[in-house]
Amino acid sequence: MVVRIRLSRFGNKHQPFYNIVVAQARSARDSKPLEVIGTFNPIPQRPTNLSEEQARTAKAYKEISLDRSRAKYWLGVGAQPSGSVWRLLGLAGLVQESKNVQN
Amino acid sequence: MAPRIQNQIVSNSLLPYLSSSSTSSSFTSLSSRPRRSCRSFSSTVAPQTRLRNQMFLWLRQEAAELKHHTPGETNYLTSKAEAARGYVGDPRPFPQNIHYCSESILSEELRTEIYNRVVKQKKSVRAVSVELKVDMRRVAAVVRLVELEKRMKEQGKLLALPYARAIHEMVPTTPLRHYDPSTHEEINDLPVHRLTNPQIFYPVSESRQFNRVDAGRVFSAAPALEHEQAAKDAVDPSETISRITQNPSHIEVVGKGEDEHQVLQPADVRIPHPHMVASRREQALVPQERAQQIKIYQARLQKEEEADQERKRRSEERKEKQTQRVQPEDSRFEFRINDVVVSQETTGKDGRNARAPGRRYGVPSYDRKKGQVKIPTRVEV
Amino acid sequence: MRNRATQYLSKPKVRQSWSKWNLYNLVRFRIKNPMHRTHFQQKWDAKSASRAYHGEQVSEKQWARMFSPRIRSVVPMDHTGLARDDGSKWSAGRGQGHDDTMVDSRRWVKPMPFGQATYAPLERRLDVAVFRAMFASSARQARQFVIHGAVTVNGKKMRYPGYLLNPGDLFQVEPERVMFATGAPKDKYDRREMRVAQKQKEAAEEEEAAAEESKEEGKTKENQQEDLSPRDTLKVLLSQAKNIMSKDKDVLPAKRKQELRGFQKAVRRVLSRSESSTVLTDNLEAQFSELTLLLKAKKAENNTEKDTEKKSKPAASSTAAAEDTPEGGSKAASEADSEAQPGDKLSEAFRQAAENPEGEVDTSELTDEEFKVLRRALTQMRDNPIDHSKPYATPWRPRDYMNVFAMIPRYLEVHPKTCAAVYLRHPVVRPGSSEVPSPFSAATSELAFSWYLRRR
Repeated sequence: MVVRIRLSRFGNKHQPFYNIVVAQARSARDSKPLEVIGTFNPIPQRPTNLSEEQARTAKAYKEISLDRSRAKYWLGVGAQPSGSVWRLLGLAGLVQESKNVQN
Repeated sequence: MAPRIQNQIVSNSLLPYLSSSSTSSSFTSLSSRPRRSCRSFSSTVAPQTRLRNQMFLWLRQEAAELKHHTPGETNYLTSKAEAARGYVGDPRPFPQNIHYCSESILSEELRTEIYNRVVKQKKSVRAVSVELKVDMRRVAAVVRLVELEKRMKEQGKLLALPYARAIHEMVPTTPLRHYDPSTHEEINDLPVHRLTNPQIFYPVSESRQFNRVDAGRVFSAAPALEHEQAAKDAVDPSETISRITQNPSHIEVVGKGEDEHQVLQPADVRIPHPHMVASRREQALVPQERAQQIKIYQARLQKEEEADQERKRRSEERKEKQTQRVQPEDSRFEFRINDVVVSQETTGKDGRNARAPGRRYGVPSYDRKKGQVKIPTRVEV
Repeated sequence: MRNRATQYLSKPKVRQSWSKWNLYNLVRFRIKNPMHRTHFQQKWDAKSASRAYHGEQVSEKQWARMFSPRIRSVVPMDHTGLARDDGSKWSAGRGQGHDDTMVDSRRWVKPMPFGQATYAPLERRLDVAVFRAMFASSARQARQFVIHGAVTVNGKKMRYPGYLLNPGDLFQVEPERVMFATGAPKDKYDRREMRVAQKQKEAAEEEEAAAEESKEEGKTKENQQEDLSPRDTLKVLLSQAKNIMSKDKDVLPAKRKQELRGFQKAVRRVLSRSESSTVLTDNLEAQFSELTLLLKAKKAENNTEKDTEKKSKPAASSTAAAEDTPEGGSKAASEADSEAQPGDKLSEAFRQAAENPEGEVDTSELTDEEFKVLRRALTQMRDNPIDHSKPYATPWRPRDYMNVFAMIPRYLEVHPKTCAAVYLRHPVVRPGSSEVPSPFSAATSELAFSWYLRRR
């Protein structure tokens, strides 16, 4: 059995929200995982409290919250991130940016 | 095709002489009643005719002067009677409610003055609030609204100019006076705290001074201050006040669990402008020298502002530290990565603790349940 | 939701509305004589009367959930008093101060009318706040504006009338809607005008599509107009401006409208003559700027002819006035309106100007006063034009009996020009006054409060 780091979908219709979870590869998506190590909100948020010019140039942002030490631990013991989690972990600088080996 | 005229009422009103001869007795009895001239050709029976007549009579006679306003004056139901009685004060629009006054709004000049002082002269909101005797929140709101107006003008949007003029004519306004700054409203409002509601009988020895700080501690059920600490605070009360106002998170906490709360602070701390009390105290030391008083006041205000800025900057820094911002080149979006902690303490034994990151497992979600508020509770700017 | 906000004359109920029915009911409103009612009945009466006014659009169940027995109150503090005494003087003696002066000063603090703030939680609702800010003529209308998407909160459209405003929220209503809600309604004459205008517009569009002949016709017309000398047209313009400014408000109907329209035509004629504007602009904004420019030029000529000592003063005034922002101009117009009625100051000035032979002979020698009047008339024309496409009577004027209900509570900071307001804080009670606008006496609202305490 492989332990994977993957996303499990929460939120409502048209309002996705993901928990970044560590779970057995063959378990159901939304079943209780081994551990929740963070969240990912894929809906872009507009930055607030900005002046006029800032608001015009500002980029929308997506929120990730992550426990880095737990993520490192699970990667260290061989947990395999899924494609989208690989990208998120890459942004956080925990793995290489591009995933060479796709499985 | 010719229009069909079948309706009794229509034909009656068209040909009144026919109706009187051919129709039933009910109509004749109606016609015998005296009718008003404007309704003479209509035979429909208006309900509540007597009451309606009374109303329109009243509107024509007594309420004739209520119809239009006189610019610069209020024209309420009570205005005339109160003027006759020689009533001084804000006008009361409701005759039965003596507790509600129609309070004045900012005049156009005062509003532009506030905006100029904050935006052009770069004065702080606090300073402008004290100078013009306008609440700090109102000063901030005025700046926001004037900026909104400018933006709308730039975009070429239509403004409700005649409406605005009419409002300023009808509602009492606070004029701008340069030499005698008018008081628009009370700026040092102290909110009544929940803890002060109960009446407490608290005996104190006469050898001791019992002041507001002690009273606050009694109300919040905190143990009395140590004598040394109390003596230390009393040496420089202004310093003590500013220490508390600038570090509100350092206020002592009492109680356990649900009942945990901060110790109730004295009124000097809880009013919006605590620096005014301090500077008044300092002025009392140099009662004759006006120039020096002003200097002291300015210095204190400056210090207060610097402390405010510093606090704001520090809190922002702390927030920045916790988040990492990543902007990938190939993405339209920025990613903000916050640090969270997953451990036994945050998740709890069963992993359902409220402080754990992520959405809960095995906890029902009430967001579609009847009786839950589903409309948004706030809108971010 | 069933609309229960109807006005009955037989059972008067006070509503959140500016209608004359409501005004009449407000005057007649009496609570039933408590001498012949049980305590329960008194509470019931108070509750039903006050609920008909406060949040009548909110269901009783919803309101009962919103009700809170805790009422926000503030005490204005005097910083001088706080500086003088750290509280130990107050608590000295037997807990009431050492001497009698302290006791006396305490006795004069007015009591807080807590009962009047029973319905304070409802003032947080968006629809009620829109009504309180005087952007709608009734709470029901405010509710409709919200539902129809005319209200934004912090720049985002908010379609829920039950949205509870947070302190610092800025809400804005479309100015057109506000003008409609607070303006006088159209009369029969206006409505006919609107139809005629629409027909003319359609006809014009057809013509444009049809042929170029119309162009030539237009040219001939212009030629005819140019027969009048520029001096005469300016004179006519002035006389019309005079007429407009001197009329009082009550006599608004047909005749005044004709005058206004004549003035508009005259303005256009002057513009067609000046070299700078070759194209006739229908846009009022452009017209206005053109004319002010023209006036300024005339003024400058005038000044050069006059003596040097007079030169400095009017020149300064004219430039200042020309640079006036639109709101400054509009205010001037309003002042003119207000002055003209009682004092007839301005009209007298006109008469003097008219009697002055120099002013008549040479157009370039118009007096300061005349220029001012012209400018005022122009600004008024621009700010408050006749436009039959609008859903309210034009030029805009406040609806009848609006002034009786005109009040803006302190917890809102309203900016009428942009039809925006900021909800500063929750309404509070102060010693002797309450911030919640309510037509009921203290006794009535206290009874209503005790009803909702649920100890009955």
